[in-house]
Amino acid sequence: MKEWEYQPPPDIDATLAETLQNFPREPRMLPYTLRSIAALLLRGWMRVYHRLQIDGREHLPEEGSYILVCNHTSHLDTLCMMCAVPMKKIHRTFPAAAADYFFSSLPRSAVSAILINALPFNRKLKGAESLAVCSKLLENEGNVLIIFPEGTRTTTGEMGRFRSGIGRLVAGTDLVVLPCHLAGGVKAWPKGKLFARPKKLYLRVGAAQSYGKSEKSAASVKAICEDLQERVASLGRNSA
Amino acid sequence: MSIEQAMHSQIFLTYLTIVGGLLIFAGSVLGILYLIGKDVSGPARTYRGWIMMIPIVLGTIFLGREATIIGVVLLAIIGFKEFARATGLYEDWWMTGTVYLAIAILGIVSFIPDPRLDQQGWYGFFMALPVFVIAAILLIPILRNRAKGQLQKVALAILGFIYFGWMFMHLGFLANTPNAYGYLLYLVFAVEINDIAAFTFGKIFGKRKLREEISPNKTMAGSVGAITVSLALPWLLWFSFPQFQPIHLILTGIIVGVGGQLGDLVISYIKRDIGIKDMGATIKGHGGILDRVDSMIFVAPIFFHMVRWFHGIG
Repeated sequence: MKEWEYQPPPDIDATLAETLQNFPREPRMLPYTLRSIAALLLRGWMRVYHRLQIDGREHLPEEGSYILVCNHTSHLDTLCMMCAVPMKKIHRTFPAAAADYFFSSLPRSAVSAILINALPFNRKLKGAESLAVCSKLLENEGNVLIIFPEGTRTTTGEMGRFRSGIGRLVAGTDLVVLPCHLAGGVKAWPKGKLFARPKKLYLRVGAAQSYGKSEKSAASVKAICEDLQERVASLGRNSA
Repeated sequence: MSIEQAMHSQIFLTYLTIVGGLLIFAGSVLGILYLIGKDVSGPARTYRGWIMMIPIVLGTIFLGREATIIGVVLLAIIGFKEFARATGLYEDWWMTGTVYLAIAILGIVSFIPDPRLDQQGWYGFFMALPVFVIAAILLIPILRNRAKGQLQKVALAILGFIYFGWMFMHLGFLANTPNAYGYLLYLVFAVEINDIAAFTFGKIFGKRKLREEISPNKTMAGSVGAITVSLALPWLLWFSFPQFQPIHLILTGIIVGVGGQLGDLVISYIKRDIGIKDMGATIKGHGGILDRVDSMIFVAPIFFHMVRWFHGIG
């Protein structure tokens, strides 16, 4: 009789904290259940409390991976973007989140990893390494990456300059990027306030872009960033 | 079992004193050893694990029947989860989901009263449940029309449910018995003492290996020492079950002394076969939940049926 083959997971000796910080995550039943419930509640809450309106959903590709980029005004941005993708993709939607903030403690890691499904993005030291994780993620069909290229929340309401990361990620590849703009975030949840106020939010999803013909040079990376920034800004002007 | 009864239960209060005293004593010994310059980092880690676990266990029993049953259900679910992860069964959500549900049902039938008898806990359904759960698990490959590799999954799921779910849940069902405090506290205490005795005697006198292919650290001396201690313990703690006659005390000693070590060895060879060191990393310094409750899984159901045969559970 041939012996059975067991396949214990590589992280079997990982503690809870390590499991939460590991990326990519294994599919596990309890986080999936909690995340599905949280996503449903979130959709209801955003619609009722913030009267969230989403335009341009038809631009979201049915198949394949894509990146959503958005202006960053508050924590509500991530939540709105998560409401924009179809419910069945909720476990394959990864908002890139600053590792130094969202994975800094056990409770935060738990919320970030289980409910938000955040991708821990190291914005200080290993930008290149985190970008490599992103491209690997997008190689798998059907994953969605949410990125805020400004890198941090705006305090003034003015959109900041897009950092080079998004450009480096998509230059010379077939990756699809959708520029998005969220209006109302600054008023609804100013940086530093504990709770969001019941202000209206308006999310516009723009047409899909691809930068396959661009070179991987610094100049073209800069051009991509400027192009995306302009597209996000123009979505904002149209919605105003 | 309730908070009210626990506060007036002589048995509960006595165990609280004994355990509290032992913890303080062990802590002082560790402290002294540390002060005279010995390396106690290993035992200290284990001790911190105890400091975390003991209040949870005693607190759960203190809260009463409901909390105890829920507590054992949670342990069984986490235990099965560790088993499923270690074997790779956890990738099959139909199998694991069915077993989780079945363990939850075990908890419910332990909780609700018997509809025909005036008794807490539906004993008849509890004992019959494996029939339906095994049927349900066997049904899964048919429902999804798949054959390849299904026997292994079915076998692992059935073993997982029967051993980590059903046999272990006998401990929770003990909460329904009139002498629940005595049985539960004695079992938890005696099983731990048995483990500690095996370790200590093994460390001091151990030469010949007990089962070197399964667990290289266990020795004959440790095993004999543990059985001796476990045989003596029921006499010392006779107040836990005043209705027991000497023969029941001897049986209790054998069940805990032998069964505890067998439970340990069972988890050991499962781990060895899979090729892992610990079942998980849930408790710092103690490995996974299964590494901690391994002896209890074996002891609880046998003790339960011994008690039921001689003294009844209603």
